[in-house]
Amino acid sequence: MAAEMATHVKEIAKALGNRVPEPEIERELENYVSVYRVSVDAAKRSIVKKHGGDPGGLGPARGSARTVAELRAGENAIDVLARVVYVEKRTVRVPDGTKEILTGILGDNTGTVPFTAWEAAGLELQKGDVLRVTNAYTKEYRGKVEVHLSGRTTITREPPESLPFERAAPTGSAVVTLSELREGIGAVTITARVLQVEAKAVTVDGKAKTVHQGLLADATGRVQFSAWKDYGLLPGTALRIEGAFVKAFRGLPQVSFDDRARVEVLAETDLPALEALAQAPRAWIEDLAERGGSVDVALRGIVVDIREGSGLVQRCPECKRVLAKDACRLHGAVKGVSDLRVKAVLDDGSGALTAVFDRELTEALLGRTLEQCLTQAREAMSTEVIRDAIADALVAQPIEARGNVTSDEYGLMMIVQEAKVLRVDVQEEARAMLGALEEEP
Amino acid sequence: MRETAWRLFAGEYNESRKSIAAEGERQPSFVLTPLGAKVNRLFLSGVLTDVENLGTDAEPMYRGRVSDPTGVFHVYAGQYQPLAAAVLGKIAPPAFVAVVGKAKTYTTEQGSTYANVRPERIRVVDARVRDYWVLEACRFLRKRLELAKSAYALESPTAEAIRKLGAKAPAAEGLELAMREYGKVDLGRYTAMLAEGLRYLLPEHRTGPEEVPAPGPSAATEETVLGLVTSLDDAGKGAPWDALVAAAGKAGIEPADLEAAVDVLLDRGAIYEPVLGRIKRIG
Repeated sequence: MAAEMATHVKEIAKALGNRVPEPEIERELENYVSVYRVSVDAAKRSIVKKHGGDPGGLGPARGSARTVAELRAGENAIDVLARVVYVEKRTVRVPDGTKEILTGILGDNTGTVPFTAWEAAGLELQKGDVLRVTNAYTKEYRGKVEVHLSGRTTITREPPESLPFERAAPTGSAVVTLSELREGIGAVTITARVLQVEAKAVTVDGKAKTVHQGLLADATGRVQFSAWKDYGLLPGTALRIEGAFVKAFRGLPQVSFDDRARVEVLAETDLPALEALAQAPRAWIEDLAERGGSVDVALRGIVVDIREGSGLVQRCPECKRVLAKDACRLHGAVKGVSDLRVKAVLDDGSGALTAVFDRELTEALLGRTLEQCLTQAREAMSTEVIRDAIADALVAQPIEARGNVTSDEYGLMMIVQEAKVLRVDVQEEARAMLGALEEEP
Repeated sequence: MRETAWRLFAGEYNESRKSIAAEGERQPSFVLTPLGAKVNRLFLSGVLTDVENLGTDAEPMYRGRVSDPTGVFHVYAGQYQPLAAAVLGKIAPPAFVAVVGKAKTYTTEQGSTYANVRPERIRVVDARVRDYWVLEACRFLRKRLELAKSAYALESPTAEAIRKLGAKAPAAEGLELAMREYGKVDLGRYTAMLAEGLRYLLPEHRTGPEEVPAPGPSAATEETVLGLVTSLDDAGKGAPWDALVAAAGKAGIEPADLEAAVDVLLDRGAIYEPVLGRIKRIG
């Protein structure tokens, strides 16, 4: 802190042409910051102004340093050290013509965030570049944080080593069950069985790598994993992993591990057999809400509402985003590709979530194809007929749905992988319940 | 966060006398049942037995009665429920319906409170959907009953103590509030309600053809009730419901039988409700 203050004092002195003695500046700065609790940047500007100097001479304001996971919407003067995960040039319309901007994704070891650089002239960014971004601001778009780089933002390229790709494995990681995994828990030790695994070729920092991704399960739950080394994993393999990292995607925990973890394939284990673990566990929505999400669970609920954006939609041919007024928010005016989907509110009496059904599932539940829906909408000259048909088919229906559940500030969402209209033998259950009731004293 | 749609029987819902006002703008309000269900939204299914337009043709306000194995839900849809009102105005009773709606209460000038439902969605369904709803209503009633039974045995039934019995926070908070508001209610009554719901699903317990509820009130009961409605009608505004319940009780008519008799008389056009909570004789 003291060293940082000394830097600020020097900057003020420099902006004032060294006319004012540093001890005096230090006293004033201390007064502003500690006594009046003014931000350092505001204090610096005030002191320079007070002594008749130009606050512009202070150079770009320094914001508050954050990791990507710490970014919150609606903040000004944010500093972040991050790697360019993806970037592309775009041309946008402005009142006096067009303008080149850059959009993409920034990431560090804590997460990723979309960004837009509004003053992109002369700015060449490559995937993999490590950037020190100073004085950026954040905004919210559809509940997600975005970073905006304006003309007042300074962007400096840093050597790749300044942002090591992953933290070193700490010693003494906590022993947890899969249902206890939470975002931010750090490194853990888990014992689990591989349910599914698949090798995938990826490029990291310009180098080709193979990642083995899949699902792990124990008696308490499941989790997605990424192994950055070939451990010869097969469905059914029982593992003990010491020093696995927990990350989270929308509240859904994921584990990853590599050379720095101790991975042991277990010949003998107390874990349930593969067949028992392969059944998607039945879950109540109230429990999922407490956990923030879960991989591959089965729910039984009633469709109590059909949300806006259900039915026939147009998607961007490049990024698959749903278009609003024939425009993609990333790619502008494009020729949309027709698609069919349902965003339903599924309620199991303990809680509610938004269940998203893709085209294939929607076609099956609706009993008609995308083509048939398009024809019907053309004849009716409105896509509302399809939304009405979806409501007719689904509202009040008991549904069993299976998929991954994630969460954000709007609540829980399930990306449905399998769904069917639920048929329960109500008599059998009623008879059992009545029998138990009559036996009670 | 979206409010959960509670499954509960009309028998329990209609016993609610307490509503919890919203704590701020855009915050939910609740109807609190004696068993501690803190209901903002509910999902219900049953037989729509009749629909009346209490408003005008231009500004309709429909009232539908939806009966389940334990009682009748009163469902009101007007200008603030345009989607549901449009549908409710078109359904020809009797029909199996399912309703997703908001829980509301209405308090009469005399201070009596009635729980009703403002539908967000209403639709015709088949018997399968209705039966599954009855089963779900039974499951959740049993859960509330069992929790209440354990909580009634606690020395100090705070929400925290109730949570230790294995309940989630909303259920525990609701039950604590309900115990403060209604005291320890007669759980036997709700156990009977649960048995009634379960038997409704079982053919071996079915008496008479489906959808004909228990035998209607006797002609004598109807005659007595009609007499009470006339004698309690002060100043021509109709007989207050509370007074009617009290007087019927003295005459040996149970509340359930009174309700049934009033329903029959309403259907026959012998009486009507000029305002909610008052009954007036026609002619």
